[in-house]
Amino acid sequence: MGAVNSPEVTRTRPALTPADLLELYRLMALCRTLESACAELNPRWFPAEGEEATIVGSCYGLRPDDVVAPHYRGPFIIYLMRGADLARLFGQALGKSIGYARGRAVPFTGPVKVGVTPWVAGDLGTSLSVALGVALSFWYDRQMRRSPHSPPLDGTHPADERAVVCTFGDGTANRGDFHEALNMAALWKLPIVYVCQNNRYAISLESRKYLPVATVADRAAGYGIPGATVDGNDILAVHDAVQAAVARARRGEGPSLIDAQTYRLRGHWAEDAADYRPEAEAASWRERDPLPRFERRLVEIGAAAADNLVRLREQVAAEVDAALDRARQAPDAGPADLGLDEVLAWRG
Amino acid sequence: MARLTYVEAIVAAIAAEMRRDPRVFLLGQDIGPLGGVMRGARGLWEEFGDARVLDTPISESAMVGAAVGAALMGKRPIVEISFGEFLPLAMSQLVLQAANIHYMTAGAASVPMVVRTRIGDGPYRGHPQCYEAWLAHVPGLKAVLPATPYDARGLMTAAIRDPNPVIVFEHMQLYHLLRDEVPDEDYEVPIGQAVVAREGRDATVVATGWMVHRALAAADALTAEGMSVEVVDLRSLAPLDIPTVVASVRKTSRLVIAHESWKVGGIGAEVSASIAEEAVDALDAPIVRVGAPHAPVPSARSLRDLFLPDEESIRKAVRKVAEF
Repeated sequence: MGAVNSPEVTRTRPALTPADLLELYRLMALCRTLESACAELNPRWFPAEGEEATIVGSCYGLRPDDVVAPHYRGPFIIYLMRGADLARLFGQALGKSIGYARGRAVPFTGPVKVGVTPWVAGDLGTSLSVALGVALSFWYDRQMRRSPHSPPLDGTHPADERAVVCTFGDGTANRGDFHEALNMAALWKLPIVYVCQNNRYAISLESRKYLPVATVADRAAGYGIPGATVDGNDILAVHDAVQAAVARARRGEGPSLIDAQTYRLRGHWAEDAADYRPEAEAASWRERDPLPRFERRLVEIGAAAADNLVRLREQVAAEVDAALDRARQAPDAGPADLGLDEVLAWRG
Repeated sequence: MARLTYVEAIVAAIAAEMRRDPRVFLLGQDIGPLGGVMRGARGLWEEFGDARVLDTPISESAMVGAAVGAALMGKRPIVEISFGEFLPLAMSQLVLQAANIHYMTAGAASVPMVVRTRIGDGPYRGHPQCYEAWLAHVPGLKAVLPATPYDARGLMTAAIRDPNPVIVFEHMQLYHLLRDEVPDEDYEVPIGQAVVAREGRDATVVATGWMVHRALAAADALTAEGMSVEVVDLRSLAPLDIPTVVASVRKTSRLVIAHESWKVGGIGAEVSASIAEEAVDALDAPIVRVGAPHAPVPSARSLRDLFLPDEESIRKAVRKVAEF
């Protein structure tokens, strides 16, 4: 792991300042804490502990007008990074009225207004094509300004170079939409980066039982696009690879596929004991837990003192507690939230 | 006014909206230089170019998913699924994604997109499946099935301007069958409104698509037998215009429902149940449904003709309710 198999995706790492490094750490710690909290709130939560480096690293440093189509495991930290309110997210997980979907959608959906695609059902793979459509829309905006055939848009169009990051699981990589979406993205050179949040398990099944390739990135060759495999527990490696691919997308050079290899430290859902996995394997991955690993690195390179990081973790815990209190006190979704008059949009 | 065929009217609606609204673009198979299956996109690529008329690979799920994503970003995509027979390939994108988004985001997002697709028996007999009742079953989708060139243009225009996902079922038998006066100026046929295609006193035939024409022919023929038959063209399957059917049944007291798709679980079952709930007191005879037998659609012309409801099966059904 850690080997990058395409030189095209390894450009120079975007300069991360010491403040960025501390923010990355804070986001990972926040992700860990809020995921534990959600798993306690909701026994059917899909906890993301262990995958924080991949999740945060993939979405850090994007522009506000970019769009993320997140995997269902660990999306809350992504919504937060893009401007969502934590108490409303906890409310979402609890089916409260203050949740963004007012109790209507799956617990892990988020607010579209912050530039994410919504989770509106539990089927997997469709999000890869919906993300493709967002990238197609960005591509279309560019074409419209170039095309001699077409009138220009009305001036409210978004800036050039917007990009999409779509994260998905290794299990999802076997849905037909994976093939259809990557093929189309490659054909039209759409500005999108597909990141496989590869935690080696599709619920109980180990990846060698459903993936005949060592890395999902091997499939990139089938679409003629760059593929890269990165250590998904190394947040800087993930961030580096994704940012290089995003830069490529912004330049109009098309999509990339990145396999970030990580591990789910808990079960598929909160109450899943995950006893289908060998203990030795789980133990070896606990050794590679991305959080303490990044902590050691920050201290080693002098980016932070250990007690700074303790203070950051305390701040994160306090933030989570306060948001949890607000969410718990909010009313359950009720008759006013059922919204039977919001099944169809009204013509404005 | 121009005399247009059904397919010419559909293409005219799309072209007019593309001229009017730069957010409208087309995704589909063979819609570029070929001009579309059965000339269904003729002239659009020449006028609007590669960026707005996108030939796609054979990837129905990603095509519809891409339309959902583009619609989320404020575009007005029209995605063409060459034949309704291929809708099942995109079913998750249609019924789980497109249909759910507005409700599940508590109204924060909407998906203004059109899925156009060809259904029914056609001149070449291929891809005849009529799955429109499946889509009408799902909340969050609209579905229309025009029977005339006038309605084809007006419903397609309304579909493109609608803020919801709208499925436009285009009947292949009607594609090049007849010409109709279609206004040159802008107009819409509102989605969710049936129309009385022929007035009558003695019985109502509610029909869709091609069967509207067979019902009209049956009604003409029954005049000779002294019967005055009203024909209601549903035009929209979702939302379904039950009040228009109720009003007609209150006038005629007898109801036949005819569609090309299977009788079992077809849209006629919903119409029938709604009339039983809302106007059973008006009926002087049990409702009779005319639809395809519950078997896969056969291919050979001779078998297809035996299989599909025809004018005679509609006449028989009308006689049955009249003589009850």
